[in-house]
Amino acid sequence: MASREIVRYRSPTRGAVQAVTVIFLIVFLIWTVLPLLIMLVSSFKELLDAFQLPAVGDWGDVGVMFDFKPTGRHYVELFTEKHFATYLRNSLIASFGSAAVSVSLGAMAAYAISRAQFRGKRDLLFWIISTRMAPVVAVMVPLYVIFRSSGLVGTLPGLILAYTTFNLPFAIWILKGFFDNVPYAIEEAAQCDGCNRWQAFRLILPLVAPGIGAFIVLCVLFGWNDFLFASIIGSGGAKTLPVATAELVQPVKIQWGSIMAAGVVTTVPMMFLGLLIRRYLVAGLTMGAVRE
Amino acid sequence: MAADIAHTPDEARRDIARGARTIDYTPNAFNHQPARYYLLWLMLPAIIVLAGISLYPFFWLIYMSLHEVQLAPGKSDIWVGVDNFLRLFSDKKFASGWLTLFKYSALCLSIEVGLGVLVAVILNNSRLEKVLVTIFLMPMMMAPMVAGFLYMFLYNGTFGWYFWLLRSVGVLEGGTILGDRGWAMFAVVATDVWQWTPLIALITLAGLKRVPQDQLEAHMVDGAGEIRNFISVTLPNLYPFLLIAILLRFMDNFRFIDTILIMTGGGPANATKILPTYLFDVSFKFFELGRGAAIAFTLLLLTILLGLVLTKVFEDPARKLKTGGGG
Repeated sequence: MASREIVRYRSPTRGAVQAVTVIFLIVFLIWTVLPLLIMLVSSFKELLDAFQLPAVGDWGDVGVMFDFKPTGRHYVELFTEKHFATYLRNSLIASFGSAAVSVSLGAMAAYAISRAQFRGKRDLLFWIISTRMAPVVAVMVPLYVIFRSSGLVGTLPGLILAYTTFNLPFAIWILKGFFDNVPYAIEEAAQCDGCNRWQAFRLILPLVAPGIGAFIVLCVLFGWNDFLFASIIGSGGAKTLPVATAELVQPVKIQWGSIMAAGVVTTVPMMFLGLLIRRYLVAGLTMGAVRE
Repeated sequence: MAADIAHTPDEARRDIARGARTIDYTPNAFNHQPARYYLLWLMLPAIIVLAGISLYPFFWLIYMSLHEVQLAPGKSDIWVGVDNFLRLFSDKKFASGWLTLFKYSALCLSIEVGLGVLVAVILNNSRLEKVLVTIFLMPMMMAPMVAGFLYMFLYNGTFGWYFWLLRSVGVLEGGTILGDRGWAMFAVVATDVWQWTPLIALITLAGLKRVPQDQLEAHMVDGAGEIRNFISVTLPNLYPFLLIAILLRFMDNFRFIDTILIMTGGGPANATKILPTYLFDVSFKFFELGRGAAIAFTLLLLTILLGLVLTKVFEDPARKLKTGGGG
């Protein structure tokens, strides 16, 4: 193993470079966190407070951002007057339903594709990945017509199916990569000990369980964050959180306080889930091409 | 004793008649079938579902693109042949949709890759790497449409903090951000950059961990400085990672249009109307689904092309990306 120690000498240039990198990092950190902070703070502000802004060029008055009396009014309103509990339930059912369908069917298929050698395997994989990559709007055009004629528009099963268009190929593709890494010898040994193939498959499941768990979470995340499918195919009976949030924009006035509160309600659970599966995040978001 | 074992059903029945106990045991039924049938059965449910929600709609899409689709019940679709496609040639918004899409993607990708690599190089092996990476992850978890609203709020011409910032710095003369043709494009790009630069940084970080240290050292012994080292050792090792990052981000740029739809809806004066946004308008605002299908078809062709490239990239270097290098 090569040593990682590299001798560095102090010099004015190096000092300057270091200072610049530190400043850059701080600016980038502020750029990343500031919008989130403003969203959180604004969700606790009364309408008038939210509209307080220092005069143009008045840098000393930035503190006005935190000069307000916090109120939980917007959150209470969301859940009492605006029926967000229902939308939250819809979001949960649609995203978890689709994740469950996708990962259970996907795990079986991924295992089979990983183990089987057959002609056309590459074509099958290509089909799967291009299904995953198809633009949501383009998929929605025929799906909308089909769902309309079969009465699936505006229902939760319809929405679950719609989410499955991107979650199922994702699950197959990424879990195949996981099963590829499990040596076949384990199943062979299990079968020598008298397991049948199904039992052997169940036996290696614990080995990929952490991955499967993480990708269930990712599927939930993709479904939860979707807006396009939900706004067209879920419109009416199966309104999810993002659609309900968009509907807070009313012709007369945009209810910014409620929108920011709804944004927090939509975002915070997913941030927790994201941190939970931190290890698998990069693999998941790059379709398994890059692992940390 | 071995002779007492029943070998044929007749012998077994004889033994049972003599009072032999039976045990319920089926020798592994699955194992007697060739493995491929078993694997096929495992594959089948997913394949059938996938075909139902991707292949079947795809044929529908082709059918729709050749018809004038009637949504009203009782009316049947009118055959128009390739008219929907021919009309695209004279459709100015279609052409400008493609152009805007490429302009948008080029802007997003160049800024994201530049910033992402910079952040990754600075963070790599620094003390704060873990903490900062975790913080940088947060925007990626946000629903794009929420990010759209959030930035709309920040850009607002009367109470938006970013609006105030731009005015205070003196770059913005007056007017509004999202209402101005030039600014609107940068505004939506900035939202994408905010959300997805961290992903590029993460991918690059994963790549940096796999740059072979011995190559770096050998190069240093040969007298290369740090910058030289970065250009001729680190960067070539990063290329496959950057390629994947760029392809994936480009793909997402036309897969998701939530932010643009929320922030500008394609305006002002079509300045941010990338093709998928135009497709959304045609299909779900004007409900000209036949024409929409024709546009969707062209978009899917690009997807298939990208898919071909991606499967190539994923297949060979994928092995290298996971295991290769000194990491």
